[in-house]
Amino acid sequence: MSGVSRRVFLKGGSAAVVAAGAISSIPGLPAMVGLAETQGPVDVGATESAVTEAESSGLMSEPLVAHIRDLGTGEIGLFSGTREVTVLNPQLAASLVRAMR
Amino acid sequence: MSSHREAPEISKDPVADSTDLYAFVSPDSPSTITLIANYIPLEAPDGGPNFYEFSDDVLYEIHVDHTGDGVADISFQFRFTTVNNIPSSFLYNDGPITTLTPPSPSSPWNRQQTYTLTRVDRNPTSRWGCSTTVLGSGLLSPPCNIGPLSTPNYTTLAAAAVHSVSGGPFSATVFAGQRAEGFYVDLGALFDLGDLRPFAGDHAGGPGVGLMNGMPGVNSTADVNVHSLALQIPANQLTRATPKNASDPAAVIGVWTTASRQRVFVEGDGAGGQDPFWSGPWTQLSRLGNPLTNELLIGIGDKDSWNHQQPLSDGYQFLHYFAQPLLPQLLPGLYPGVFPNLAKYNSTPSNTRPDIEAIFLTGIPAGVITQAPTFTNYNGTGVKADLLRLNTAIPPASSPNSLGLLGLDVAGYPNGRRVFDDVATIALRAVAGATLGYVAKFTADAAAAIVDFGLTNGGTGTDLTAKGTEHYLSTFPYLGLPYSGYSNPSVTPVSVVTP
Repeated sequence: MSGVSRRVFLKGGSAAVVAAGAISSIPGLPAMVGLAETQGPVDVGATESAVTEAESSGLMSEPLVAHIRDLGTGEIGLFSGTREVTVLNPQLAASLVRAMR
Repeated sequence: MSSHREAPEISKDPVADSTDLYAFVSPDSPSTITLIANYIPLEAPDGGPNFYEFSDDVLYEIHVDHTGDGVADISFQFRFTTVNNIPSSFLYNDGPITTLTPPSPSSPWNRQQTYTLTRVDRNPTSRWGCSTTVLGSGLLSPPCNIGPLSTPNYTTLAAAAVHSVSGGPFSATVFAGQRAEGFYVDLGALFDLGDLRPFAGDHAGGPGVGLMNGMPGVNSTADVNVHSLALQIPANQLTRATPKNASDPAAVIGVWTTASRQRVFVEGDGAGGQDPFWSGPWTQLSRLGNPLTNELLIGIGDKDSWNHQQPLSDGYQFLHYFAQPLLPQLLPGLYPGVFPNLAKYNSTPSNTRPDIEAIFLTGIPAGVITQAPTFTNYNGTGVKADLLRLNTAIPPASSPNSLGLLGLDVAGYPNGRRVFDDVATIALRAVAGATLGYVAKFTADAAAAIVDFGLTNGGTGTDLTAKGTEHYLSTFPYLGLPYSGYSNPSVTPVSVVTP
């Protein structure tokens, strides 16, 4: 890959767009002794609509951090609370990188 | 040191740095097991105004494997909460702290910690299922031992921080707070190219710089404090079943401690618009089972990785460090002519150290120790994982020997570890070949039975204290009261003996 990978910190509604599809698919945290396990990549559609107010109120009770691991594949790690979810969305990853320019 | 500052990454995060782990049948309550995990190395007793404390951001855990599979069956989790009772004051306390009371704005003690203790049990029918039981919350830690004006009756304060807790079918006695360091070793000499002061004249470089045999050892960890997580638990709440006798595999538990942080930290913006926060799953930063594993066996390029890994990794990616450790390879060169048998054994590339693997990774099967043929702390499975293994059915010794099993005291290290066990000497003698003859065709060099750090009475094991460790207690939590800052304003300079 291009090796382009960088951390992007998100706030507010733009982050919730990603979280809406990803977090809802998490099964119960599986790990023993509080060590949560990373879920396999989840393909999130690039055309998700903006989350509703009702949705976002539940999702954004804690900060959410996004880490673009691989711009080429669109692999993004999302961190919130004690959860970590990996999503695949090249378009979203590209959009976030552009936002940092 | 046992595990103080033993790896590059964790040495920069002392509140998450495990230093020592102890597991033993409680001598004054033999139906219970005592587990102690120490954190925060080398606390200067006068280290104010921000005296040492556990971190609110760290998940501290003590794990127990009672099935021999190298995976935690029980974990005890400690989570701390710190409050400033008097936010406007720069002082740790603005008056004498005479009683241990819950946080309050009217307290003379400013910076105070409480904690929650949770027991997590793995569901034996599901690899990932577990149940949690909160054993206690809002539990009070004692203050650090400041001095006679601030903490005038420290014994009372520390005693009030020993709590009896319970939840569901489980119970425990718990303490979390500052104690005196109990481990002892001569680091100044050891890390000066493997010098042992009593034997410095035999060191390859010793005579050239004027060193000679018979020099007294120096306890590098004397007069400093640590922070202890101590538990005393009924034995039948730790074993998978009540063992029939000491030969029953159900009697053996494996213990280790870990510290974890969440994966992401975002610093605040410094302008009040964004507070700092942690996010994501817990990731392990520190691990400790047997003393000295990461300190003296694991290569520096793998030390940080070892801390991050689960014990089961020891049987795979780290196995070569146990099977062919470096230190025994170095000893014959550092002490020419002193270890000829070890040198000869090392000269065969295919020779490994099954004794080191047994001590650290599997426990010792019955019949191996010829002088104590029924002794075992074998895990019963052969699974290789660096755990501190304790046979809970072996009663406490009536006349303990600080050399543990090497002193034919089967209640001591490497059968668990007591606070006074001379683990540095035991490990040194083991790697020098003292234990190899039990499991391989090998005759140990005479020196392997006598090398030590010069900190106890001739290394015979009959001396249960070293300089700076005279404070051990006979009751829970067994480690002594912490040194006070007033009485120990700095670590006393050591008078190094030179010819």
